[in-house]
Amino acid sequence: MDEPRPANDAERFLRLAQREERGRLTVYLGAAPGVGKTYRMLQEAARRQAEGLDVLVGVAETHGRSDTAALLEPFEVLPRRAIAYQGHTLDEFDIDAALERRPGLILVDELAHTNAPGSRHPKRWQDVAELLVSGIDVATTLNIQHIESLNDLVAGFTHVRVRETVPDSILDSAEIIVVDLPPEALIERLRAGKVYLADTAGQALTNFFTPSKLAALRELALRFAAGSVDRRLTDQLALAGDEGDYAVGERILVAVSPGKGGAQVIRHAKRLADLAYAPWTAVVVESGGARGVVGEQREQLAENLALASSLGAALMTVAATDVAQALVDQARELRASQIVIGKSRRSRWFEWRHGSIAQDVIRKARGIAVQIVPLEDADERPARTSDYHPWRAPLSALVIVAATVGPVFAAQGWLPRGAIDMLLLVPVIIAASLLRTYAGLWAAGFAALAYNYFFTEPRFTLIINDTADVITFVVLALVASVIGALAGKVRRQAETSAGVARLNASLARFAGLLGGLSDREDTARVACREIGALLDVEAIIVSLEGDRLTVRGNPAHGALSLVDEAAARWTLERGEVTGRDTGTLNASDWQFHPLQTALGIMGALGVARPEQGRIIRADDATLLASLIDQTALAHERLVLEDEARQVGTLRERDRLRGALLGSIAHDLRTPLTSVIAAAEAIPAEGAYAEEVLIARSEARRLQRFLGDLLEASRIEDGGVKPRIESIDLTDVIHAVLRDLRQNREGGRVVTRIPDDGPLIASDPVLLRHALINLVDNALKFSPETSVVEIVLECDSSHVTCRVLDRGPGLPAQHDGLFERFARLEGSDRVGGTGLGLWIAKNLVEAVGGVISADNRPDGGAEFAVRLPASNSRTEPANA
Amino acid sequence: MRKDVLIIDDEPAIRRLLIGALDRAGIAHVEAATAAEALRIASAAPAPLVALLDLGLPDRDGLEVVPQLAALGLSVIVLTARDATEEKVAALDLGADDFVTKPFDSEELLARIRSALRRKAGPLSTTARREFAGGHIDRDAHEVVVRGEHVDLTPREFDLLWTLADHPGRVVTHERLLELVWGPAHRHDLNYLRVAVRSLRRKLEPNPSAPQLIINEPGVGYRVAG
Repeated sequence: MDEPRPANDAERFLRLAQREERGRLTVYLGAAPGVGKTYRMLQEAARRQAEGLDVLVGVAETHGRSDTAALLEPFEVLPRRAIAYQGHTLDEFDIDAALERRPGLILVDELAHTNAPGSRHPKRWQDVAELLVSGIDVATTLNIQHIESLNDLVAGFTHVRVRETVPDSILDSAEIIVVDLPPEALIERLRAGKVYLADTAGQALTNFFTPSKLAALRELALRFAAGSVDRRLTDQLALAGDEGDYAVGERILVAVSPGKGGAQVIRHAKRLADLAYAPWTAVVVESGGARGVVGEQREQLAENLALASSLGAALMTVAATDVAQALVDQARELRASQIVIGKSRRSRWFEWRHGSIAQDVIRKARGIAVQIVPLEDADERPARTSDYHPWRAPLSALVIVAATVGPVFAAQGWLPRGAIDMLLLVPVIIAASLLRTYAGLWAAGFAALAYNYFFTEPRFTLIINDTADVITFVVLALVASVIGALAGKVRRQAETSAGVARLNASLARFAGLLGGLSDREDTARVACREIGALLDVEAIIVSLEGDRLTVRGNPAHGALSLVDEAAARWTLERGEVTGRDTGTLNASDWQFHPLQTALGIMGALGVARPEQGRIIRADDATLLASLIDQTALAHERLVLEDEARQVGTLRERDRLRGALLGSIAHDLRTPLTSVIAAAEAIPAEGAYAEEVLIARSEARRLQRFLGDLLEASRIEDGGVKPRIESIDLTDVIHAVLRDLRQNREGGRVVTRIPDDGPLIASDPVLLRHALINLVDNALKFSPETSVVEIVLECDSSHVTCRVLDRGPGLPAQHDGLFERFARLEGSDRVGGTGLGLWIAKNLVEAVGGVISADNRPDGGAEFAVRLPASNSRTEPANA
Repeated sequence: MRKDVLIIDDEPAIRRLLIGALDRAGIAHVEAATAAEALRIASAAPAPLVALLDLGLPDRDGLEVVPQLAALGLSVIVLTARDATEEKVAALDLGADDFVTKPFDSEELLARIRSALRRKAGPLSTTARREFAGGHIDRDAHEVVVRGEHVDLTPREFDLLWTLADHPGRVVTHERLLELVWGPAHRHDLNYLRVAVRSLRRKLEPNPSAPQLIINEPGVGYRVAG
């Protein structure tokens, strides 16, 4: 099941962040038709267009009003899409064309509109949501009574219920602009015939137009808009770090019952949750047994749950015999501050007989506020179970009693009188415990009659003339009801816990089966087979391979229809549930659920049922969610295993490459040493002087390459381990000069080192290597006649060694300078491996230093190595 | 006839190059491709004075051969890679006189060989006076003269300079210096050595930030220019 929707900072940040990327929604909200929403929307859009915004009219209903139609003039209007439906042609908003066109702002009138069958979404607000997701700003119009959570409220005082509702969630981040018109003015407009009313609804709608109702609607609209502004303000305050008035820990739990009144309770809870700015959870208690939910009620329950989910509730199903106790327990577990529960107006007798769950909850819910929503119709009465047969209980009771009375009657001569009383208890106990209380009472009645008729004086009459017989009769009836009640309770508990145990067992089995599989084909096949068997549905798993949709798991369903495919793709791309019984692409025969994990969407599970009715029954929703989780995890495991295998292969290849590189570099070194020594042994004079010089410099270059390659592979292997000791940077710098043969006559390097620079703790060998690379680089990139400076600077916390040259400097963009194989423009000319600076950076960082590069203000480049100065100037006392 | 230098390297090309360089410099030499052969030549009379030893030998670890050659009275110069700091320190601690990093510069190599030969040829100094570039130190007179002028040193500085000058032109490892001057307990107190060298340089070097007399081999040790 979903986590209860957390109204916490994370969600608010997410909502704000989404608001940045998503298109912005502006809703022109009116209290009633005819207040001028479309007119106002067009006016504002004209103003925005004049400011240079790209405005497109997607849908604008002018209802033949000329002043409104005139306002349309300046706009580009999107042609409507014709949809053939039952011989008619319906014009609908063309969402694909709108997405293709991508305007800055699109006007889509009448948010609550229901699209023609065969459209992509059944509702227009879904089209709008898609536009927003793809980053297009939308302006739309809406009347207050179409808002889902206010639907009951409006219907309550107007006695008109509109069927077309818009979920509150889409309005969450919208800017709400109330188009306000005083009731009197509106009635005036209505009389003047300026308000369009659809023909069929016209008559009913006139009920709206009384001053008191309009005033109430107007107040509702203004309050809704104020609430929305308030919430947006709170979000922004939170983003600015201000806490605001934020109800911490408020959480609402609503008990969902299968009746029609359930929806009313859910809407009430939603309003409460909005007011308290709290997350809310809808809980169904499966009590099993006689009061279990069957048939039509099951459908109603599913609908109620769907409503709760669409209004933003987290769903939860608990199995328990004691409904009230389960609700209170769940509320405690969720730390809910309020429980909302419906209570029908039932007769006192019914309540006395069955008890009232609401009363029980109030009794048990210590410390938790309980809100009771009175329900219109008493539809909460538990329905008779479908296997109920009116004659069954008395008949079986009669048979059991007869089976006992017969032998007892035959043997009565041998039996003492008291034993007969006792023996007649037997059929009552049997009937009450094996069947139910009803049958037990019947049995008690029959047994009492039989006792009276066969065993008491006067025999074979039904006359009672002994108080003892009356007592026997009463005792039999009492025993029957007590045992019947106890047995019934035990049976229900057993059924419930057996159900839970079955559920857990099948989940465990499912996880076990999937855990052992190591390829996608098998995993899909087993998952679909098991899910199909557990939920009595057809199941498939679809996934995207490249751009192609692949169907697995069920050989009977190899290919999908176009609609099915569209629904599957929608689920795979957006992670939403689509298809039959859902709000998106419900023309599909399948219902697709995303297999979502931390790694992303692994695929989609498609479920279908050949017969009519909901594919997934309400009480199976929890099981399905668990199965989906398990399936998703199994797929995730496959992906991770694949990756682990690939990483292993890559690592092995990398290791081999490193080893090969190391051994090649090493083997090349020995002959190269000879080449260099030989080249330097030849005097660079006479006819071949130039060639000798070239041979020497190229051989040295090759040697540097090799050195770089070896050092690079050592760094990559993690083989650079600093040996920190006290060092004098003066010594390191002069060693670098010796290495680069810059310490003799004709050297181009000048040093500026203070006499009393600090001693630092570092690795002299690594620093020496890093500095060799930097100085060598500086020498290579600057003119032969220029000077390279090495400057050592100290402050109390750091020692900085700068290498300054008079070369061309660094290009403006030199972010990747210290990356491997980074070569700046023109560096090919001098020929480097592209590893030198990367090596220097790694070595400097290995000793805790920082390397940086910049241009000198008066030309040339500057590389700086900044090292932490350590407090190591303590002289030995006796020095 | 006495051969001055024993070349020990398994690479024929390197051997030939070294031979060429020594020939041109007029230094007599003998060569060996294995440790066993080298030890045989070194034990025969007349033994060579200096051994040029490549540590990568086919039959034996080069480091094992160092003390044996030193014991036979040869001055050992080790050929090593530049980054093989630990190898250098180990060779020096085992009795090698000096090291030259590969790929070597023949001028530098010849200078080291000549310096070693000079030390071998000169009479074993029994006096209390040691020479170094630009001056001398006299233990008996407790006197240090640099560029003709007397210099005052603390006892510790004096000991340090004496120890370095007693191994002219040779690298003395950091640990060995600390052991000889400060005592075995201070073998790892490198900081003492750094500070003392600094102050010594200030008193002896014309430009202490560009030292000419007391040269450091990073990670290895110090040498005094002979």
